[in-house]
Amino acid sequence: MDGKFAKISPFQVDPDKIPQNFDLNEEDFMPAEEAEKASMVEKHKSVSYWKDAWRRFRKNTVSMVALAIFLVCLLFAFLGPKLIPYSYGDQYRSSQKLGPMEYSENEQTALSIADSCDGFFATSLQPGSMNAIKKGDYYVQHGGKTYAFTLKKAVEKSILILKADAEPALFVVKEKDIKDGQYEKIQELELTDTPVEGAKEIKLVKTVFPHVFGTDSAGRDIMARTMYGARVSILIGIVAALIVLVIGSIYGAISGLAGGAVDFVMMRIVELIYSIPEVLIVLLLQVVLKDPLQAWFDSGTSAFAQAMGDLGSGIVSIFITFALLYWVTMARIVRGQVLQLKKQEYVTAATALGASNGRIIRRHLLPNCVGALVITTCLQIPSAIFLESFLSFLGLGVSAPMASLGSLCSDALETISLYPYRLVFPGVILTVIVLTLNLVGDGLRDALDPRLKK
Amino acid sequence: MTGYIIKRIIVAILTLLVIMTVTFLLMNAIPGSPFLTEKSTPEMIARANAKYGLDKPLYVQLWNYIKSYLKGDLGTSLKMQEGTPVSTIIFHQGKFELSLKLGLYALLLAVVLGIPLGCIAAYNRGTWIDGFLRVVTTVGVAIPTFVLATLLLVTFAVKLQWLPTVSGSLTTWKAYVMPVISLSFYYLCYVAKLTRTSMLDAINQDYIRTARAKGVKTRSVILKHALRNSLIPVITYLGPVMAGIITGSFVVESTFSIPGLGKYFVQSVLNRDYPVIMATTVVLSALVIIMNLVVDIAYKIVDPRITLTSKEA
Repeated sequence: MDGKFAKISPFQVDPDKIPQNFDLNEEDFMPAEEAEKASMVEKHKSVSYWKDAWRRFRKNTVSMVALAIFLVCLLFAFLGPKLIPYSYGDQYRSSQKLGPMEYSENEQTALSIADSCDGFFATSLQPGSMNAIKKGDYYVQHGGKTYAFTLKKAVEKSILILKADAEPALFVVKEKDIKDGQYEKIQELELTDTPVEGAKEIKLVKTVFPHVFGTDSAGRDIMARTMYGARVSILIGIVAALIVLVIGSIYGAISGLAGGAVDFVMMRIVELIYSIPEVLIVLLLQVVLKDPLQAWFDSGTSAFAQAMGDLGSGIVSIFITFALLYWVTMARIVRGQVLQLKKQEYVTAATALGASNGRIIRRHLLPNCVGALVITTCLQIPSAIFLESFLSFLGLGVSAPMASLGSLCSDALETISLYPYRLVFPGVILTVIVLTLNLVGDGLRDALDPRLKK
Repeated sequence: MTGYIIKRIIVAILTLLVIMTVTFLLMNAIPGSPFLTEKSTPEMIARANAKYGLDKPLYVQLWNYIKSYLKGDLGTSLKMQEGTPVSTIIFHQGKFELSLKLGLYALLLAVVLGIPLGCIAAYNRGTWIDGFLRVVTTVGVAIPTFVLATLLLVTFAVKLQWLPTVSGSLTTWKAYVMPVISLSFYYLCYVAKLTRTSMLDAINQDYIRTARAKGVKTRSVILKHALRNSLIPVITYLGPVMAGIITGSFVVESTFSIPGLGKYFVQSVLNRDYPVIMATTVVLSALVIIMNLVVDIAYKIVDPRITLTSKEA
């Protein structure tokens, strides 16, 4: 019996001190000390809402895999452009219409040069700029021989300068000799074989890197464009979802909280917008907004107008469309949540205890709504990406040289029978992004909605 | 019930009026004039405007539209087929018919294939069949219509040459295959997913256990008891499906070169042919609105527990 007592007791009791009879020790009935109280609290540490949700989300294998793949897509879209030497808008001559993993003729030459050059310029820096040069970035032809630059045996802090006078020549200058962009002491280029003085020509060739997804008819690298397009699509999706979140939740919350006639009128408006076949209006809106937006961008001197101008009228009118038509689902969900929560006993209790409206919203309504908000917003992103790609496909969304996954697919359609891979790459990326976001959204719903707890 | 239907019809007419007003304002906001060509002088434009009443104040023009629509007159085309009544363009040149056929077949395919697939998945829950269908449907709702449509086009028309690249006026059954599949695939997958979920919900209900305990055959339990109850969410979804199929038809019609209403709408917007824009919008919107109304009534027939008048609850 004594042993049992020791086990049940929440306090650490020295077994020697366990009373052998019923002469109870008075000390055992003293109020608990601070340390003991703290240890009690520790034992029953509460799990926060987000921690709990994350724990449940982590157990969902499908969603975790989807999240991982989506993160890879994010890396592809946002980090990828930094890793490949091509940009989305540049047209590379002699690299038109290349298939996946192919090199253009120029690049093949450069490739062979890097492999079998006659000598190396030892340098760590690029002409004119302070950027480091990579192996095989540039090469020089002189006296019937070809020289590549290398980082091997780098001359300490030297800069190559191409003097573009009558006779172009290459010089190398120590960095410490440059003052205010002017260099004083010109040194001969340090070359492992022959001196380069009087070099007639410097041929600059970009880093040799395969066009992994091939190039389009204008010689643009499709992988760079797909990365860029994915970035544009993802950003449009996120911004549109946030617009919907803000407008929808404010509208829904007002409608739900106000109730009565206000609610009635506001919900009739929602129903009306809901029953409009929005794509018809969206198409009209896209055409209507194009010129006025462009005029606004051109006249606009404010930073906002300029920032919007950088995005282009296609993207901005997509945002406007979302702000006008697509918030209704969110408003309905938020209103439903608010109506449901308003009647909960704990809200009544809080009201009875004299809590202010602000406190009730902050402490009770918002935390209980947040799950639904996060889920709906997350699932709004793929639907926004869908709409944007649909519009771009019809030629109304983003315009060249910008690209989104939809416009890339649309561009690919013209040459679909000859170069089907041009559609496949952006199409697959688009599908993967939408798919993973859908799966993550489903996982979030399971994780965040405690009513579905099994 | 009758009261409800009347109320809904009134709301539908109001919605159409709002759509007309919005469309009217938007199309008037499109910069430029339908009569603006390289050769046109300001006088010519003014004369043409006067001829078609485009010089009148906006509210008068809008009122004229509403008045003529009430009489069943959709106006005449200003530009694309100058002088031809819009109703002829839409209804008698096969455009509406093509789009409607395409849409209905797509809808039919989504329902006729989607519901049984959902049932099969639910019935074989946890087996490889369920797993396979889940993968297919999950991927299916993530593929944009245009990607699917073009992939089908490349595979079956360009590479294998089994099906025609140009579907045209859908004269042979072969021409239907790809447009209908690409138009309905998303909804097919969605309907299958929805049916599976609600079927699983239904299967766990007490009345199913009772039916089984009474010795009713599995087939009978699924078809008579579970299916009927699990169809409600599917039916609710059919309204949005109709709207979505119209959306999809824009893409499908342009991918497969079908001269339907969707394609014509896009062209009319780009050409600023006001009466055509208005008529197409109203016809397509009316289609969606009528579909929603039918769905809501069907909803009531399938589940008498639903009281339509208090939808808010």
